[in-house]
Amino acid sequence: MFQYVLRRLLVAVPMLLGAMSIVFLAMRILPGDPCVAMMGDQASTAALADCTKNLGLHRPLAVQYVDYLWRSVQFDFGKSFRQGYPVSEYIARMFPHTFVLVVASAVVAALVGIPIGIVSALKRRNPLVDYPLRIIALLGLSMPVFWLGILLLIAFSLHLNLFPLIGGGDLDGVLAMIRSGEVFSQPRDFLAGVVDVLHHLTLPALALGFTLAATVSRLSRSAMLEVISQDYIRTARAKGQRERLVVYKHALRNMMVPLLTIIGIFIAIALTGTVLTETVFTRPGLGKMLVDAIGARDYPLAQGAITVFTMIIIFVNLVVDMLYAVVDPRITYR
Amino acid sequence: MAVALSIARAGEESPGTTRARLRRWLPIGIGLLMAAAMVVVAAAAPLIAPLSPSAQFSDSVLKGPGVVERHLLGTDEFGRDILSRIIWGARVSLEVGLASVIFGFVLGVPLGILAGVRGGRVETLIMRCADMLMAFPTLLLALIIVTALGGSLLNEILAIGVALTPNFLRLARSLALTIREQDYILAARALGSGQLRVMARHVFPNALYALVVVGTLYIATAIRTEAGLSFLGLGIPPPTPSWGNILSEGRQYIKCCPWITTFSGLAIMVAVLAFNLVGDALRDLLDPRLKGE
Repeated sequence: MFQYVLRRLLVAVPMLLGAMSIVFLAMRILPGDPCVAMMGDQASTAALADCTKNLGLHRPLAVQYVDYLWRSVQFDFGKSFRQGYPVSEYIARMFPHTFVLVVASAVVAALVGIPIGIVSALKRRNPLVDYPLRIIALLGLSMPVFWLGILLLIAFSLHLNLFPLIGGGDLDGVLAMIRSGEVFSQPRDFLAGVVDVLHHLTLPALALGFTLAATVSRLSRSAMLEVISQDYIRTARAKGQRERLVVYKHALRNMMVPLLTIIGIFIAIALTGTVLTETVFTRPGLGKMLVDAIGARDYPLAQGAITVFTMIIIFVNLVVDMLYAVVDPRITYR
Repeated sequence: MAVALSIARAGEESPGTTRARLRRWLPIGIGLLMAAAMVVVAAAAPLIAPLSPSAQFSDSVLKGPGVVERHLLGTDEFGRDILSRIIWGARVSLEVGLASVIFGFVLGVPLGILAGVRGGRVETLIMRCADMLMAFPTLLLALIIVTALGGSLLNEILAIGVALTPNFLRLARSLALTIREQDYILAARALGSGQLRVMARHVFPNALYALVVVGTLYIATAIRTEAGLSFLGLGIPPPTPSWGNILSEGRQYIKCCPWITTFSGLAIMVAVLAFNLVGDALRDLLDPRLKGE
């Protein structure tokens, strides 16, 4: 197991380096000069040269590349061209917003998707149950998250006035209260902060969660179909065990391994989904930060955001791979 | 639960019955009909669009569906006809959807087959490169590429095509790994066929149908990705209509004029649904082993 973990880590390192190289090269062939973007067309040549020097863009590409890699592994992504403060600080501030969105949408997707997938698999020969569930899954899969987001905004924010139109709530304030211990001294304020965050989170989480639930339901349907076709399920039924027991005791437990794969795939899709969801709901987060950084040609900020996205996806896949062995002792690694 | 299941089993149908046949072919029929309708709309856009997509009517700015007789689905902030823009937008979506899938297919399949048949260092090299690209989700990779190259039809095709390439590559490799162990490959080799001939004449044709099935599903992914890029302002720049940029422009007016975003989003959903339906049904019909792809 240890050797497997080590080998898997060693494979992840060149993968990460390769992914980071792609990001670096892509950012360097961006059309337009970032200094011109920052200072405008009217800026003097001297001012532009000064800006290029300050940003380190005058150095050879190879030097910039090595510098970028070395700094990135230390989570130092340089300073934002536009705002001037360290990118890692900006990312650290935005990360919790994206994290809560991913977690909340995961909850929605799991609560909706997994039961739909399981019921659809168990009742696959009953068209009255299977068809509507599959149609719902297919609609969710075909519905762009940004469109569903806009529809939810129109219905629940503009017409019913139940949820805020933009923003992510005072998550920074809530986190600050946890860090400073004010959560115990001022529990009412803390609770109000949490409610505010949840209020802002509901619609984005529903939009992203519902579109993800479609993928989750399809994956859990095929996982369940795989499990219930196994010999041990037939044996359990042959022993005369009640169907409920067969499903809960044998089938659901053995769905754990495929479910882990679902979670791995899910995190990757959810992270991508945050780019669109945060833009639609004008919510702070890594996704919105990335879109804004690209618009402003802020290389370090965009590089930092994409690198963090990639790191998270590679890390999650690594953890999922390792969890297989923990969840299912039948899996051995050589 | 047991009762419900026994009822369900009692309702089982044999594969030859009309009901079973209907169940199998209905989704494919609906999907094909929708996809065909989309192709016709895109191809015949100049003929069926009631107005020019860029024509501005200053007397009909932000008018709702049917308020002005000539604008069936309403108008946008410049007084442009939404229905005409959606009809013309179908061209962009379909062009990007089909061309990027073809691009990913042409680039990924030969490399995947080469990796699967050759094995060894060639396989390792190709697969590590694919793994690197796979570290990025499709939209993120397409976003990086299109940001670097700039928003245009060709760049969008290139970006989404490259993002889809590793998916085709991995599938082609896994199919090639199975096919290369077949007796007919051994026979072809024994008859003196070279590696290139084996790959082109034997492995590729036998992998083709599975690749085409999955390719249909990727058309849906490509259309959704294109819409996402255009929505973020990184796709085809206005005034050329694409469903994503119509929706993006309409975002500012969701309070007064929700029809702009509603109809353009609906068009995206119907198109994605059509190709998902066809791809899903084809996959189930032709190769149930591909259910996990």
